[in-house]
Amino acid sequence: MNIIAIETATAACAVGVRTSGGVEVTRVVDEHRRHTESLMPGVAGLLEECGLTARDIERVVVDRGPGLFTGLRVGIATASSLAQALGCGIVGVTSLELLAHGARDAGVRGTLVSAVDGRRGEVFVQTFRLGDSVEPVGPPEVARPRNVVIEWATNGAPVTFSGDGVGRYCSDFDAVPNGTVFAQSVPSVHAALALGGSRGPGDTISPLYLREADAVANFSTRERSP
Amino acid sequence: MTVVLGIETSCDETAAAVVDDRFHVVSSVIESSIDQHRAFGGVVPELAGRAHVATIGPVVARALLAAGLDLHRPAIDAVAVTSGPGLIGSLLVGLSAAKAYAMAWGVPFVGVNHLEGHLFAPLLEQADLEWPLLTLLVSGGHSMIVLQSGPGDHQVLGESIDDAAGEAYDKVARWLGLGYPGGPEIDRLAQAGRAGALKLPVSMTGADYDLSFSGLKTAVVRATEKHGDVALADVAASFQAAVCEQLLRKLRAALEHYDVAGVALAGGVAANSALRLGVGELAAEFAIACHLPTKEMCTDNAAMIAAAGLYRLAADGPSPMNLSASPNWQLVDVP
Ligand SMILES: [Zn+2]
Repeated sequence: MNIIAIETATAACAVGVRTSGGVEVTRVVDEHRRHTESLMPGVAGLLEECGLTARDIERVVVDRGPGLFTGLRVGIATASSLAQALGCGIVGVTSLELLAHGARDAGVRGTLVSAVDGRRGEVFVQTFRLGDSVEPVGPPEVARPRNVVIEWATNGAPVTFSGDGVGRYCSDFDAVPNGTVFAQSVPSVHAALALGGSRGPGDTISPLYLREADAVANFSTRERSP
Repeated sequence: MTVVLGIETSCDETAAAVVDDRFHVVSSVIESSIDQHRAFGGVVPELAGRAHVATIGPVVARALLAAGLDLHRPAIDAVAVTSGPGLIGSLLVGLSAAKAYAMAWGVPFVGVNHLEGHLFAPLLEQADLEWPLLTLLVSGGHSMIVLQSGPGDHQVLGESIDDAAGEAYDKVARWLGLGYPGGPEIDRLAQAGRAGALKLPVSMTGADYDLSFSGLKTAVVRATEKHGDVALADVAASFQAAVCEQLLRKLRAALEHYDVAGVALAGGVAANSALRLGVGELAAEFAIACHLPTKEMCTDNAAMIAAAGLYRLAADGPSPMNLSASPNWQLVDVP
């Protein structure tokens, strides 16, 4: 099965292609939030490199977040429209599980906390157990980095942190006594290709925001003025 | 024959349409997230972006189905999409989808200026109209008088130096405690009011074609604070009359200066009953054609984007796949 993966949950934009012949190419095509500009040229470039055309795509995998809201919408609108127009299956994966799989693929074992930068002083986090497989320990959540750090410092158990949320608040995460920082900012596109190939496709993919839209959250405190 | 799929997501409408090169609208589908914004008195960008990403796929599927086209191998020749101006988070959804459809179907795509799209709306209702045209383009985001010498050949004669006309309607409606959007509400109330009840200043009496509505909004606030007992209908009628007087005075000045074959109204405020009446009277007085859009052509729609896309594709060729959205793209900067 020819699979493409689209990754736009963080400031980076990454794409991947895995052909039915077993050839796999993954690439970070931008690191500065230019998802709109870099995504489609990136997809076109990778397809060409692999000797495929758009019509050859048999499955689309997309990171549905949590992460940058606009980035997620660019990735999901692109992935959904591709799948819809090609009549192929689409699989949604989360940024947090891609970070966990990426760490496991690199040899990390034990407890891992994925943390994606959520802006406004918050991170999107989820805890996993990495062993023979990757098992989520809890649900994805929004948290203050400091609270995550305090929780694990108090807990005392060995833990590995990964994701661009860790990079952004590295001085906080570095301070956890039994904590190790695994440097990985972009959710693993290789993992997305692997998961996309093994999971059953869904119908529609919606972004995993984990946070209400601004106006909704602020409505009760809004003043009406002319 | 060239057939284009148009996509529009610049504000709260998610729209898709199929239009052919004789400017015949084969299908047109519009979904709006306006109900989600009413409580906030204006379009909330994040809510609009969320709605677009959920709606774009179904809307495109409906437009293709209504046109009798196959979703996977539609007989279309290009995809046209609004790439500006508008809300950045909303524009990006349509732009991303358009690029993906174009790549999947192996057809070119073209980014279209939303305002130029509005200027193509009259062609969709009368393909053989005569040029040149003077067009009053009035919406929640823009107010301008445009001289159109032909399709895609336009010159902005003047525009609002502050608020757009539709924006003034929304702000006054909010001040009066009316619902959002304010245009239809004020228009409805004004039918039963006396236009002379409130003394409001006539803005922009200069010789140019520029417009201004910010002062008028402030004047309504002052006048109603001073005379708290004025009936709501009278305030609405007085405000509406002042807006129309300014727009029609500038349009008249333009008609006296430029020899045109017709006059056109475009944009959301083109649905306003008093403005339609006034523009109709001006056209009759100058004995020229009058192009008043149907309700569907006033609102943001994708048929007008497809029409402008047909023209831009022929004139300038397709857009590159790395095209980004231009939230502040001015009409004077087209192409
Ligand atoms: Zn518009």
